[in-house]
Amino acid sequence: MANIKTTWIEASVVENEVHMSIVELSHASRTPQELIMSWVSEGVLSPVGSSPQDWRFSGDSLKRAKTAAHLTHDLELNVSGVALALDLLDEIAQLRARLQREL
Amino acid sequence: MKFRDYYEALGVARGASEAEIKAAYRKLARKYHPDVNKEAGAEEQFKEIGEAYAVLKDTEKRAAYDRFGANWKNGQDFTPPPNWNEGFEYADSSFGGGHPGYGGGFEGDQSEFFESLFGRGKHRQGGRGGQSRQGMNFKGQDHHAKILIDLADAYNGAKRTISLHMPTQDATGHVSTQERKLDVSIPKGIKAGQNLRLTGQGGPGIGEGPAGDLYLEIDFHPNPIYRIDGKDIFIDIPLAPWEAALGTTVNVPTPAGSTLELKIPAGTIAGRKMRLKGKGIPSAEAGDLYVVPTIVLPPANTDAQKEAYQNFEKAFDFNPRTHLKG
Repeated sequence: MANIKTTWIEASVVENEVHMSIVELSHASRTPQELIMSWVSEGVLSPVGSSPQDWRFSGDSLKRAKTAAHLTHDLELNVSGVALALDLLDEIAQLRARLQREL
Repeated sequence: MKFRDYYEALGVARGASEAEIKAAYRKLARKYHPDVNKEAGAEEQFKEIGEAYAVLKDTEKRAAYDRFGANWKNGQDFTPPPNWNEGFEYADSSFGGGHPGYGGGFEGDQSEFFESLFGRGKHRQGGRGGQSRQGMNFKGQDHHAKILIDLADAYNGAKRTISLHMPTQDATGHVSTQERKLDVSIPKGIKAGQNLRLTGQGGPGIGEGPAGDLYLEIDFHPNPIYRIDGKDIFIDIPLAPWEAALGTTVNVPTPAGSTLELKIPAGTIAGRKMRLKGKGIPSAEAGDLYVVPTIVLPPANTDAQKEAYQNFEKAFDFNPRTHLKG
């Protein structure tokens, strides 16, 4: 049998190593750039940089943007509704983590 | 194939108005949305109601579905009668439930029942292709999937072959699910909820455009020994009462596979955590491993064991209920 050499795909950890532009984030979260801009103005996402072209989103923005996109699409939430839901979800996650520590 | 009762899924009567159906869907969607509800089974439920809503909100689909009559029960074996959908025409089937990225799958989480009746979102698939637009180049779609790894993989790094199921479309437009194997290096220090980006492993590019990327969201297999909170790990270490009172040395297994010797000081109290700094998930700022002592009482079965407990009582002037009056 022939010896098949496996090539392992090296991946980068989005949260640590990747800083996405608005174009990349829009593509990865399948969200129009305008909607991402409205999330930024509502404080849902906090990129570094002064103008949308310079914005760099930290890695955890991807997860947040994906959740925001799901909530927008599935529950037809508006921008402030999404912002409130994400804040509450963050709080629930923190409480769950605390519960876990004290279990 | 099993029949699906879409009215039952949304908890509405067969004669429900569009507004009632929408309200019922919204209420259930908020309750079972997988980003909101972390209970097991919520995601399945969410897909089910999404599928039901996709049919019942669409006048044409609902009318076609209603033709089967009211006598079918959920889960009953079902074969659609020939020409059942004659004369119905569906608009673009944008599908309510099931995002890409949930449950390790890609798109298309419809039931067999839905797919055999209404197809597999093929209008949407077909409409996306920009091949006809000559000279246009687009980056391919980014794909998302979830994968489960062992906690040890985060400590040591690992090479894993993962299988993903992805829908592919053949030349005739027929969509089928294909299994795709990928050999991926899992980097040391990865945490639950983080994403790996595999450049160029997503959907094919259009024209001269590059392929999209594949994002893998990491989660850990449930672990019977360790609890995980970000980069910190918690382990319960049971102690006998005399070990807690007098002190001892215990072996603590680490998720990395090694064993640490830990000195338990005299007078250890149940629940008072001991921190092993830097023994959590490794990274530039490594997490910590917390040892949580619990105290286990041996049962008094034999006379000698009962006597031992009675000697306890004699030796201590101890009332654990002093703070309770009466």
